[in-house]
Amino acid sequence: MIAFILRRLLTLVPLLLAVTLLVFVLMTLAPGDFLTPIKMQRDVPAGLIEQLENDFGLNQPWYVQYARWLGNVVQLDFGYSWSFKVPVVDLIGQRLFATFLLSLFSMLLAWLVAVPLGVLAAIYKDSIFDRISSFLAYAALSVPEFFLALLAVYLAARTGWFPLGGATSIEHDFLPLGAQIVDRAYHLVLPVIVLGIGGVAGLMRVMRANFLDAIRADYVQTARAKGVPEGWVMFKHVLRNAINPLISSLGFAFSGLLSGSLVVEIVMNYPGLGNLIYQAFLREDQFVVLASILLSCVMLVIGNLLADLCLAWSDPRIRLENQDS
Amino acid sequence: MSRPIPNRHHLLAPLLACALLAGCGRPPPPPVEVTVAPIPVDAEVIEQPSGKPGAMLVETEPGDIATVNPLIAEDQSSSGVISRFIEGLVTLHPDTGEIIPNLAKSWEISEDGLQYTFHLRRGVCWSDGHPFTADDVVFTWRDAFYTKELDPQTGQPAIDPETGAPKLRYPSRPAYIQLIEGQEVKVEKLDDLTVRFTLPQLYAPFLLFGGGEEILPAHVLGPAAKDGTLLDQWSINTAINHPEQLVGTGPFLLESYRPGERMVFRRNPNYWRVDRDGHRLPYIERIVTSIVGDSAASNIAFARGLTDIEGIQPDNVTWISRAADKFDFTIHDLGPSTSTSFVWFNLRPGNDPDGKPFIAPHKLAWFQDVRFRQAVSYGVNREGIVQGVFGGRASPLHGYVSAKNAKWLNLDVRRYPFDPAKARALLAEAGFKTRADGRLVDAAGNPVEFSLMTNNNSNLRTEMATVFAENMAALGIRVELQFIDFNTLIRRTSESFNYEASLLGLGGGAPDPYASKDILMSNGRLHMWNPQQAKPATEWEARIDELMREIGREFDETKRKAAFAEVQAIMAEQQPLVFLVTGNEYVGIRNRWQNVQPTKLGGITWNLDALWAELN
Repeated sequence: MIAFILRRLLTLVPLLLAVTLLVFVLMTLAPGDFLTPIKMQRDVPAGLIEQLENDFGLNQPWYVQYARWLGNVVQLDFGYSWSFKVPVVDLIGQRLFATFLLSLFSMLLAWLVAVPLGVLAAIYKDSIFDRISSFLAYAALSVPEFFLALLAVYLAARTGWFPLGGATSIEHDFLPLGAQIVDRAYHLVLPVIVLGIGGVAGLMRVMRANFLDAIRADYVQTARAKGVPEGWVMFKHVLRNAINPLISSLGFAFSGLLSGSLVVEIVMNYPGLGNLIYQAFLREDQFVVLASILLSCVMLVIGNLLADLCLAWSDPRIRLENQDS
Repeated sequence: MSRPIPNRHHLLAPLLACALLAGCGRPPPPPVEVTVAPIPVDAEVIEQPSGKPGAMLVETEPGDIATVNPLIAEDQSSSGVISRFIEGLVTLHPDTGEIIPNLAKSWEISEDGLQYTFHLRRGVCWSDGHPFTADDVVFTWRDAFYTKELDPQTGQPAIDPETGAPKLRYPSRPAYIQLIEGQEVKVEKLDDLTVRFTLPQLYAPFLLFGGGEEILPAHVLGPAAKDGTLLDQWSINTAINHPEQLVGTGPFLLESYRPGERMVFRRNPNYWRVDRDGHRLPYIERIVTSIVGDSAASNIAFARGLTDIEGIQPDNVTWISRAADKFDFTIHDLGPSTSTSFVWFNLRPGNDPDGKPFIAPHKLAWFQDVRFRQAVSYGVNREGIVQGVFGGRASPLHGYVSAKNAKWLNLDVRRYPFDPAKARALLAEAGFKTRADGRLVDAAGNPVEFSLMTNNNSNLRTEMATVFAENMAALGIRVELQFIDFNTLIRRTSESFNYEASLLGLGGGAPDPYASKDILMSNGRLHMWNPQQAKPATEWEARIDELMREIGREFDETKRKAAFAEVQAIMAEQQPLVFLVTGNEYVGIRNRWQNVQPTKLGGITWNLDALWAELN
C-alpha cells in the first residue's frame, strides 16, 4: 500500500513539470505581459518600466524565467505576486477558507440530496416520481453552470431575498458571533445551490443505475427467497453494493475542492480562490497563476489517489498492488 | 454609541447548518489605544455649516485593492484607499483648480524659481498622536525616494550597467517622477515646521507635482527604510492583520480589511480640520466599503438602496434614476469628464525589422496629408455618437482639453462640426476622387480603405468605432473594424507599429498641461501616432515640443496658458488625434447626507470629512 502511494506521488513530478512548462509557454505566447497596462498610463516614467522589467525578469527569454521559477519552487519559494507584492502562498492562504466552505457545502448538498433521490427513483422505477426526477436531472445537467449562476444573480437582484454576491454582509464585523455565522451561511445559500445542483443531478443518475443493477443481482433474489423483509433487502444488501462506485467519486470530488468553483465564484462575485486566480490570469500575474496551477494539479493527483484508496477500503475484492503492476 | 445600519429589506435567514460554520466569524477588531492630541493651532476651519458626528457611510468599490503602500500602488482602487489616510503638502481647489494649502499652510518661491519653502501647519499630528514635522517630509523624499542601492562589496552606490546612473534602492513611481531630467531635488529641514526644496533646474509644475506628493510617516516607516524592506511594508497582509500600523494624516483610517469582501474605515481622531464650532472633523464615524466585481454590480447595489454614494456610468443613469424616490437619493450631473476618446492614424514612417514598411506607402501618404485627417474629422458625427452611443449623456469633444478642465481650455481653436460636404471638398482638394460606385479613390486610383482597431472589452469604444465606420462609409471610405484584446492592441501601437488606425481613450491625469508631456512631445511614450521619435518628424511637432518645454520651465501662469493654448490650436489644426466625445460624469448620493456640494473637479467626495447625516 505504501509503495503504491509513493509511486503515485512520484508520477506527480513529470506531470507538474509538463503542465507548468505548458502554462509558461502559453503565457509567453499571449500578447503583452503584466506591465502592458501601466505602459498606457501617462504618469509612469519610462525608467520605472525598465526597472520593473528588469526586476520581474520579463526582459529575459522565457526558458530563463522558467528555470529561475523552478529553482525557487524546488526550495518551496513560490514567489511574490507582482500586483499584490506579497508572497503567493499568503495570497492563496487568504482565499482558501472561503472556497473550501463553498465546495464542501455544495458537495454535502449533492450527496445528501442525490443519494436518497437516486434510491427512491430506482425503487419506484418508471413511476411518475422516477420520470419527473429523471427529467429534472437531465435538465440540470444540460444547463451550464455559468448560466445557472447568472439566473441566481438575477433572482437575487429582482427579489432581494438573497445577497448580491460576497461572502458576508456589510454589517458583518459589528455582529455577534452567532449572527456572523448565520450571515455567512445566508451568503452561501445561492452559490452552494448553483454549484451543487449539477452534482445532485449527476450523482442521482449514477445512484439510480447502480441501484437498479444491484436489485437484479442474484443475492437479492436469494435474500428475498429467504424471506428477508423488503426494506432490509434494499438497505442492507442493495444500497451497500450500489454505493460502492460512488465512494470512489468522493476522491474525485476532493480534487475539485479548491478549483471546481471558479466559474460560480466569478459570476456570483464570491471572494474565493477562483476569483483571485481569474484576476491573476487577466493581469498575467505569473507566479500566482503558476502556483494555482500547481495547486490544482496536486489536488487532482491526490484526489485520484484517494479515490483508489477509498475503493480498496470499501471493496475488499480490490487489491491496489496487483491492479497497479 | 448608536450605530446606524443601512436599510436592508430582508432579514437574515438561518438556512444552513450553522454549527458546521463555527469558527468562520471573527470578533470585531479591538479598539486601538490612540493618543488624541489637542486640536492643531493651525487647524483649517471649514466654511460649511456644522453637523452632527457619528453616522456610517456605506459604499461599494469595483475591484479589490492590491496594496496600501503609496510607493507601489498602480491601480485606482489602491490609490483611492491610500488617499484617505495619506496626504500631500498642497492640494487642488475643488472649484477653481488652483493650488491650495493642505498639510502646508503656506509657501514661498524664491526669485530665481529654484527654491520652494513650505511652512507646515503647527500642531498637526499623525493618526497615532505622533507630531507631523519637517522630518517626515525629508524622510519621504530623501530616504524613501532618493536612497541609492549600495554595492555590498564596496559600500558605494551601485551603478546600473546600462544607464550608468546610480540605482535607486526603492524604485517606485514617485521616485522616478520626482527626478527632474534625471536629477534630484535637494530637500532640507530649516526647522521643525519649515522645509525647503531646491530644484536642479527650472521646473514650473513642481508646486503641484512635488508639493502634492504624498508624505509618509518617518516614525513608522523609518526602520523599514533602513533595513531595505520599505516596498514590502503596508502590503495587504498589513491591512488584514495590522491595520493600526497604517498611520496617516488623512480623515479616514483603515480599520479592517477582508480581501475580496470589504474594507472598513474609521475617522481619524487626530485629523487637522475643524468645523466653525471648533469640533474636529470628520463627522462620519465609519465608512464601510464593499468590494464588488465590477462597476455594473456597484451601480446595481446603489440602485437597490444598499449604498449611500455612487459614481454612475452615463448609460446607467436613466434606469437608476427611476429608483430615486423609493430609496430617496439624488443623482448629480457633474458635466463632461476629463477622460477623452479619439481616433488616430499611424504616422510611423520607415520599415519594420523585416524590411517591410509599417504601413503601405500610399496609405501613409493619405494619413500624412493634413487635409485627409481634417476631412475625416469633419466627417465624424459627434452629436450622433453622443445620442446613439451615450443616450445623450456625453459631450462632443473638440480639442485636446476637455471642458471640465476650464482653467486650461482654449475655446478659440479650429472646430470640426459634422459637415460631409466640407469633408468631400477637402478630400477633392487633396486629390481624392469619388468613383461611380460611390467609393473614394486617391489620385493613383487606389480605393481609400483602412482598418481601425479598438479593444474588445469596452462596449462604448466598439460602439463608437461602429458609428465612426458608418460616418466614413458616407464619404466613400471603407473602414474595416478590428475589435481585439487590449494587450495585443498596445503591442501593435507601441512596439510593432503594425496597424493603420486605432480608437482609444485616455484618462484625466493631473490638471497641469505638463502632465501631458508624454503624449504631446514627439519623444513621448504615449505620442500615439508616432511615439518616441529621435527628433520631431514634422515642423508642427517640433513647435509643440518647444511650447511644452516652455510650459515646463515658465512660471508666469499667463505665459503658460498662452503656450498651452497654442499647443491646443496646433493639435486642432493638424488633427493627429481626431477627438470624438467625452462621457458625462454622474454621482448619486442619498438625501439623508448633509453638506453635499458637488463640484466639477472635486465631485461629491472632496468634502467627505464634512458630510454628515442624522442618526436614526
